Amino acid sequence: MNSLLSSLAISMRQNRGFYGALFLLSAIYLIYNILHPRGFSSAVFVQNANESVAIVFVAMAQTIPVLMGGLDLSVGAVMTLASCIASVLVNGSPLQIVFGMIVTLASGTAFGFANGLIIVYGRLQPIIATLATGAIAMGLALFIRPKPGGDIDGDLNWALTNSLWDFVDTYQLFDPDALWFQPIAWIPTPFLIIIVVAVVVWIPFRRTVTGRTIYAIGSAEGPAYMSGLPINRAKIAAFTLSGFFASCGGLYLAIQTASGNADITQAGAYTLNSIAAVVLGGTSLLGGIGGAIGSLIGALILRVISFYFRILSIDPLLQPLVEGLVLLAAVSLGAIGVLRVKNRLDLFR
Amino acid sequence: MKFLSLATLAGASLLASTSLTMAGPEIVSGPGVDPACFAAWDADTKFMQWPAAEGPYRIAVVNGFVGNTWRIQMIKTAKAYAEDPSVKDKIAEFKVVSTGTDAPAQLGAIEDFINQGFDAIITIAVSPDGFDRVIRLADRENVVLVPFDNVLDTDAVMQVNEDQTEMGRQWAQFLIDELAAQGVTGGKILEVRGLAGNSVDRDRSAAIHAAFEATGGDWEIVEVVGNWDDGTGQKVTADAIAVHGEFAAVAAQGGTTGVVQALIDAGHKMVPIAGESENGYRKQLANLSGDGLKGISIGQSPGLVAISIKAAISALEGNVMPQLISVPLPVATYDQLEDGVNYWSDLPDNFFTVNEFPPCGVNISGPAIMSQSEADVS
Repeated sequence: MNSLLSSLAISMRQNRGFYGALFLLSAIYLIYNILHPRGFSSAVFVQNANESVAIVFVAMAQTIPVLMGGLDLSVGAVMTLASCIASVLVNGSPLQIVFGMIVTLASGTAFGFANGLIIVYGRLQPIIATLATGAIAMGLALFIRPKPGGDIDGDLNWALTNSLWDFVDTYQLFDPDALWFQPIAWIPTPFLIIIVVAVVVWIPFRRTVTGRTIYAIGSAEGPAYMSGLPINRAKIAAFTLSGFFASCGGLYLAIQTASGNADITQAGAYTLNSIAAVVLGGTSLLGGIGGAIGSLIGALILRVISFYFRILSIDPLLQPLVEGLVLLAAVSLGAIGVLRVKNRLDLFR
Repeated sequence: MKFLSLATLAGASLLASTSLTMAGPEIVSGPGVDPACFAAWDADTKFMQWPAAEGPYRIAVVNGFVGNTWRIQMIKTAKAYAEDPSVKDKIAEFKVVSTGTDAPAQLGAIEDFINQGFDAIITIAVSPDGFDRVIRLADRENVVLVPFDNVLDTDAVMQVNEDQTEMGRQWAQFLIDELAAQGVTGGKILEVRGLAGNSVDRDRSAAIHAAFEATGGDWEIVEVVGNWDDGTGQKVTADAIAVHGEFAAVAAQGGTTGVVQALIDAGHKMVPIAGESENGYRKQLANLSGDGLKGISIGQSPGLVAISIKAAISALEGNVMPQLISVPLPVATYDQLEDGVNYWSDLPDNFFTVNEFPPCGVNISGPAIMSQSEADVS
């Protein structure tokens, strides 16, 4: 027990940004629910989760290149491309739907893999290479879906954008009113999707040699290379995983809107917001510190801030200003550790 | 196979017709209430009726993109109209949010307002598709959802818009008539288009092309993309003049002030023109029509939001409403312009002149909103 507590204390000291973000999120989400007329209800939780899935996945996608000290400007575009592919393929028989999902995720992953190859073997800066490949992804998305539309299975849309109760009810898996099911029936399916992907994909990955190499590259690439770490493999894997997360976001976006839309402005907004979410979640833009779970929290903070505009009466034309100020304050909170630095050289680390 | 899908459809509609599974509007036969204001789109338009709800109502406006003059004017109009004596007593709470071009955020905001128990939600959709879920939720809670301007590709909700095809047709017809009066029956026409991929741009452009084709004349329509923006419109028009030399007429979907400025800068002769309802464009028409800049100005009005709010209240009161409401086109030609009435020579170029719809009792003038401070209008 004691050792558990002390290891938690160590973890908190080492991941101050992450725990700060977690605390901030809990606080603002709690107040939001208190202020909301139907706060703490499944309906509100479902709505909040739905709205957050796409940005959460895109933020997780952005994290991995940032951990290496790079930026991926193609995440929003890859999400859009994936949603356009899904809007064509995810319909028909259950088998066809599953096939469509696999193809969607595989295309996004392949796109990320290509990003990695270009950056490693083309020896290009990630920010420039992904700016170009992002434009390619948008072009492909527009080619697949020149105007918005699509034909996503309606049941799938309803089942995945609701609570577990509706999921079970839609597909008639078993009696959704069964007594044993009640304690978890209220959980939003989109929330579960995020948790499962994060736990099954990210957490095992960061423990592998490749995963640890990504952190090492961000901390100090030269020493990482001298230590014999698989630099190239890690870089390619990082961008591949980034593509996978972005396509998860795109797939969900397509299912949620039951359509695809090659919206360039939206893709750009998601890319920028993903960077904000990564920083909010305690990941350093210099690389080496942070993680995808932190970005998950950061993306949720971004979303919850905008939730407030719907329950408070703030002049609509001032809302962007207020949002900007709150964001700035939140990011500054993360940087408060700077005040405690004893040796100014630490700032350059 | 066909039988099977028919049977499923029948089963589904049976389910949908029982009040337990789905509430929402009932499809009834027309005519609707106040047809002078709420005109049905065409003869095939369905009519809808919601169960009457007790007022006063809680109403929210969920805007998408914010940042151009049109949207800002729209938001100010919405706020001013909510304070108008004719509706003030019917509104208990009025909220406006802008979500940016982010589909999940817009859908989320709509769903949040449904959860909060709002009675009506007015929205400019960021995408013509993808609203199935919120429509279903709105119907379940008997919330009136009213998309306007960028409307949805569905007939399941009540929507408000101007007829974009008719707008394009009237633009083209005006140009054809003006050119015919000069004895011109063929030549190069410059078309300045709007945002690519948008249904409004598509409908207007198709109508312009169809009208010119119908004359049988030898027209060549040169298309450039001006994004409904003055700056972009000016640049692409200047480029087009540099490449093509001279045009017989110009049809601009928006950013018209910039388009005319480009004609002036290039020393292009003043030709018949069709454009939007920017104050600057109307000033130019008033000043230069003697030199040959004979133009027509038809606007997509930011005042549509006021009509949408009025329609939502009417639906909540239990009135029969058309599913698709056609707002009459506000048209002004160069010879009808009057300073201080339908344009303002002492006010800036970049606001939209048409904001009033007398048949609807919407009497909020554009300059009154744009020239006054927020405190004055509310």
